[in-house]
Amino acid sequence: MAGSGTAHMRGGDVLLRAEHLVVEFGSGGHRVQAVSDVSFDVAPGETLGLVGESGCGKSTTGRAVALVHTPDSGTVTFDGTDLTALSARELRRARTKVQMVFQDPISSLNPRRRVLDAVIDPLSVWGIGTKEERRAKARATLDAVGIDPDSAGGRRPIEMSGGQCQRVSIARSLMLDPTVLICDEPVSALDVSVQAQILNLLHDLKRDRGLTMVFIAHDLAVVKNVSDRVAVMYLGKLCEVAPPDTLYHRPQHPYTEALLTSIPEPDPASARNGAAPLSGDLPSPINPPSGCRFRTRCPYAQQTCADEEPQMRAMGPDHFVACHFPLGSQGPGQAADGPPSQIAATPSAPPPPPPPSPAVAPPPPPWQQPPAPQSAVPPSPPDEPSERPPLWLNP
Amino acid sequence: MSLRRRPQLSFPDVASLEGPLLEVEDLHTSFRTARGVVRAVDGVSFTLARGRTLGVVGESGSGKTVLGRSIMGLLPGANVERSGTVRFSGHDLTAMSLAELREVWGMQVAMVFQDPMTALNPVVRVGRQITESLRLRAGLDRKGAQETAVALMQSVGIPDPVRRLRSYPHELSGGMRQRVMIAISLACGPKLLLADEPTTGLDVTVQAQILDLLATQQRERHMGMILVTHDLGVVANRTDDIAVMYAGRIVERAPTVELFAHTRMPYTEALMRSIPRIADPSHTRLRAIPGRPPDLAAEAQGCRFAPRCPYVQDRCRAEEPPLRTAGQDHVFRCWYPVGSPEGADALARNVTAMVPAALAFTGTRVRDVAVAPDGARAPA
Repeated sequence: MAGSGTAHMRGGDVLLRAEHLVVEFGSGGHRVQAVSDVSFDVAPGETLGLVGESGCGKSTTGRAVALVHTPDSGTVTFDGTDLTALSARELRRARTKVQMVFQDPISSLNPRRRVLDAVIDPLSVWGIGTKEERRAKARATLDAVGIDPDSAGGRRPIEMSGGQCQRVSIARSLMLDPTVLICDEPVSALDVSVQAQILNLLHDLKRDRGLTMVFIAHDLAVVKNVSDRVAVMYLGKLCEVAPPDTLYHRPQHPYTEALLTSIPEPDPASARNGAAPLSGDLPSPINPPSGCRFRTRCPYAQQTCADEEPQMRAMGPDHFVACHFPLGSQGPGQAADGPPSQIAATPSAPPPPPPPSPAVAPPPPPWQQPPAPQSAVPPSPPDEPSERPPLWLNP
Repeated sequence: MSLRRRPQLSFPDVASLEGPLLEVEDLHTSFRTARGVVRAVDGVSFTLARGRTLGVVGESGSGKTVLGRSIMGLLPGANVERSGTVRFSGHDLTAMSLAELREVWGMQVAMVFQDPMTALNPVVRVGRQITESLRLRAGLDRKGAQETAVALMQSVGIPDPVRRLRSYPHELSGGMRQRVMIAISLACGPKLLLADEPTTGLDVTVQAQILDLLATQQRERHMGMILVTHDLGVVANRTDDIAVMYAGRIVERAPTVELFAHTRMPYTEALMRSIPRIADPSHTRLRAIPGRPPDLAAEAQGCRFAPRCPYVQDRCRAEEPPLRTAGQDHVFRCWYPVGSPEGADALARNVTAMVPAALAFTGTRVRDVAVAPDGARAPA
């Protein structure tokens, strides 16, 4: 899945463009490439959803695009200007139009400042308007995000709930009239019903102010709801880029389909019961797998995947995937002919006892089968070297 | 070293257990704080049979975590008041002394905590955290405890367990840490497992693995399980019954399939509607519930969900609805329930009267205005 390549880039009138971004952390022998040759673009008025699990580099990508982290290589072009080539002062000015909203609402606000002051701050820093004008604008913006400036303006973040703090953060980010809003997991730390409020709020603000958004999250359902285009990341690389409905109905990348299958549907009758299609954990980013980074957990991995890094290629209109064997190109049953599935081979594969012996052919991945109830677990206890039954099995 | 004394309590062999495994009756837990008395659990009753899973669903501040801890008796000593009864396997946990409770914790009832990074001791190796309860409670010797720990880690899906015994929590990923937590809780073979938000904060693929693991372990050991979460998706497929909590009370309880098919309590319905579904087309307007959960320190009058309810009427604000039955094992608290003629009537009246909650619920486009308890517009 190591998705390099720029087949998915669009020419012409894009507002924000990141090309061959590389962001590294650490020093010496322990350098980690959190973002490894990632390219994408965002058209004006579009919302790009960036989705992936912990450690995939999506937050770092978001920050790199806002130039919070300076990319180690690659370029970020905003409205025709290459931000990476600007001097510090020019960058500071150019960046006012690219604002961020962060994940933890309470800690992203200064705990010692009152809400109204925190929201006025961006204008004070840039010396925009008179004191009264700034105050008026802050009040209007707080109003627009659903916070009553009269009763809540004088409060501190500790006195407010997560949802309220997130609204204040959003208000603060809107004060300089940005064109691009980068939201880094803005609803992950919020309760379900508050999450819905904030998502609706972001949608309304985007519509009213003509914003362009980059929405970063790990919840595919949330990302699907807000985005016009979705990019899936894994271990610092892009897997797949497609419009949300296409991504859901016809995912091409094995990782995307695994993600979709893992999402528990709040519907007991649903076929997608959130069964775990992927075993194991993320490989270490310090020493990622060669070739395609997803191959160690991919049920379709072949030798090519270890040898060669897949490049982005088109699978349909506006649908791009970085994979040697995308799902659409496989016939039914082809997956089962592949090398022993990683799911069966590793001893850590859940569910436990008994682990299948290596001689047994691995079952086709769960999402290729018709929806099945949870597999029957044999009632006998696992083979144990000692005679006495293990302590924790109830008599 | 072993703290094992002669056990004071005897727990009947579970095969011969008559009656439910767990019976909670009118449990109340309040905390005395500077703001007043916070009634975190305000009259909760339910039963759980062995081998069944109960999902407890609620948002922050609904009292679900405190409920789990109240059942186990894991509450701070000072400024807490607990009343009601918790009967486990024939014994009354609420009447037990600390010494007696120590025989219950780990051995009979175990808990999987929410955040493994904070729940695990950061300076103690993982192996020792697992063997600790085996040696202290089950009285195993060092070698036996180690072997058991290795086997336990294998059964929860930790690869290379012999080497992992010597890892510290920070050397493990979130998913691994949670598996360690589960191994610790299962070490002494408890009959009841309380899983408090076991997958919150974990990635969705890891979440699926952990939930599968819990389900398998529960099935094999024939344990009772209480799964506490805010995520309806998690409970939809892995529980037999669901109890929805709001403001310290159970507002609806039903078998899982029944709850989703015939929701009665407006809060449950609103919660289901506010979640983005992967099957929905993109840019579907979410039916957010306006406002926030109530302040548990404030005096309650009437139904606690009234300020945010799309079906609210005057009676709801004045009188709190009792738990009523709606068919097999399905109880709920509402005067104008979902799917009933009076409920539909109430909703229609509210939409006409432009009650914000009703407008948000029916998807009428209105800015998400927060509604204060007195109905006036207030900060969210």
